[in-house]
Amino acid sequence: MSVLDILINYYPAFFKGLGVTLQLCLIIWGSGIVVGSALGLAGTRSPIWVGLPSRYFSFFLSGIPLLVFLFWLHYPAQAMFNLVIDPFYTAAFTLAIVNIFGVADVVRAALNDFPKQYLIAAKVTGLTREQTVFKIQLPLILRQVLPPIMLLQVAMLHTTLFASLISVEEIFRVAQRINAQIYRPVEIYTALGVFFLAVCLPINGLAYWLKERFTRNLSEQ
Amino acid sequence: MLKASGLYKSFGDKHILKNVDIAIAPGSITCIIGPSGTGKTTLLRSLAMLDLPDKGTISVDEQTFRFPTTAEEIDPPWPKLTAVFQSLFLWPHLTLRENIMLPARGRNATAEKDIQGLINLFEMQQFIDNFPNEASIGQRQRVALARALMLNPRYILLDEITSALDVEQTAKILTKLAHLKERGIGVFLITHHLGFARRAADQIVFMNEGTVEEKGGVEILSNPKSERLRQFLSLTEMAS
Repeated sequence: MSVLDILINYYPAFFKGLGVTLQLCLIIWGSGIVVGSALGLAGTRSPIWVGLPSRYFSFFLSGIPLLVFLFWLHYPAQAMFNLVIDPFYTAAFTLAIVNIFGVADVVRAALNDFPKQYLIAAKVTGLTREQTVFKIQLPLILRQVLPPIMLLQVAMLHTTLFASLISVEEIFRVAQRINAQIYRPVEIYTALGVFFLAVCLPINGLAYWLKERFTRNLSEQ
Repeated sequence: MLKASGLYKSFGDKHILKNVDIAIAPGSITCIIGPSGTGKTTLLRSLAMLDLPDKGTISVDEQTFRFPTTAEEIDPPWPKLTAVFQSLFLWPHLTLRENIMLPARGRNATAEKDIQGLINLFEMQQFIDNFPNEASIGQRQRVALARALMLNPRYILLDEITSALDVEQTAKILTKLAHLKERGIGVFLITHHLGFARRAADQIVFMNEGTVEEKGGVEILSNPKSERLRQFLSLTEMAS
């Protein structure tokens, strides 16, 4: 049975798993980019009340392996509070938290490191607040944050595979189940690898292109 | 008239400006000279209201700003009062042409025509569509000056704008400053080029340790009253 045969025979199951993976991604990416950017911005505006706790929590998170965090929220945390939560939501919540703080770190660092001299030049040349934000700050900050945020999103897509370990029926779990039935690990995991390559490489490629295109060396001679 | 009275400015426990009085008339050139670290750039930044003075008043024509105050409480008259800094602060993601045109659009009805005149005057044809990091320091200095001139300011504050220019370009800036003077623009210029100050200035201000040690016409360069200015001029002559 070839990779193609497996894809043809089991495509409904693969599509279902793919659907779950994409749902997870949409939640993780959406919340990470929207809430993470807002948190990063708020952290710059209010460094004591928002920025500091956010940095400490991010530092704390960086010390916990993702799998431990996921399992802790799935088993002990739910047992402690006598809760039973669908593993999909536990996985989505865990990965979203990681993504939110990752994006917030990138945005906060870019805003904090923004060279003040460009704002001084905007002031003395009489640019309005809107012109300063839309013509100077946003283009420069986007150039800096877009590539790392995109690479982070690809990394987050990879981490959705961990959801299979708490029984979320995403694409990796589907592949494991099909393999348990027909035992064709080479073909099945090759097909899975091809799928991830097809999704991740264009995003990675776009991130590198943006980095090359926009984050060229701006330093003066 | 751009006028500052009794300006004080400290950073922490370092007193940078101490009771500085200065006046720049429209249509005149004031050159600030003095040793490094004596508060010349701080005075420029205070006059431009980028670093607000701790005490004193600044008047820009009919508007008077009294200090201490906070940045939120004042509305500085930019770009009627504008500045060009030694570190030129060009926006790195815009071409040199866009750097000049962005602030001018909407303020200068003849911007397209004026920029062409400035491109010709400062010989910027070869590099005007480059990005700042693709231009030499001398080219960027010309662009930064052109950006300020396009705004038709009433007062322009210049910090060491000829530091990286060759003799020919310095002469052109000198000519341009004379044009600005004729157009009624008040020029405040920090410079280490005494020859430039001698030829361009209506008023020379010598700063030392945060105070105005001596000021007057260009004659103070040949006949200084204070011992410190005499010493400064002698060392500068020796160095050049």
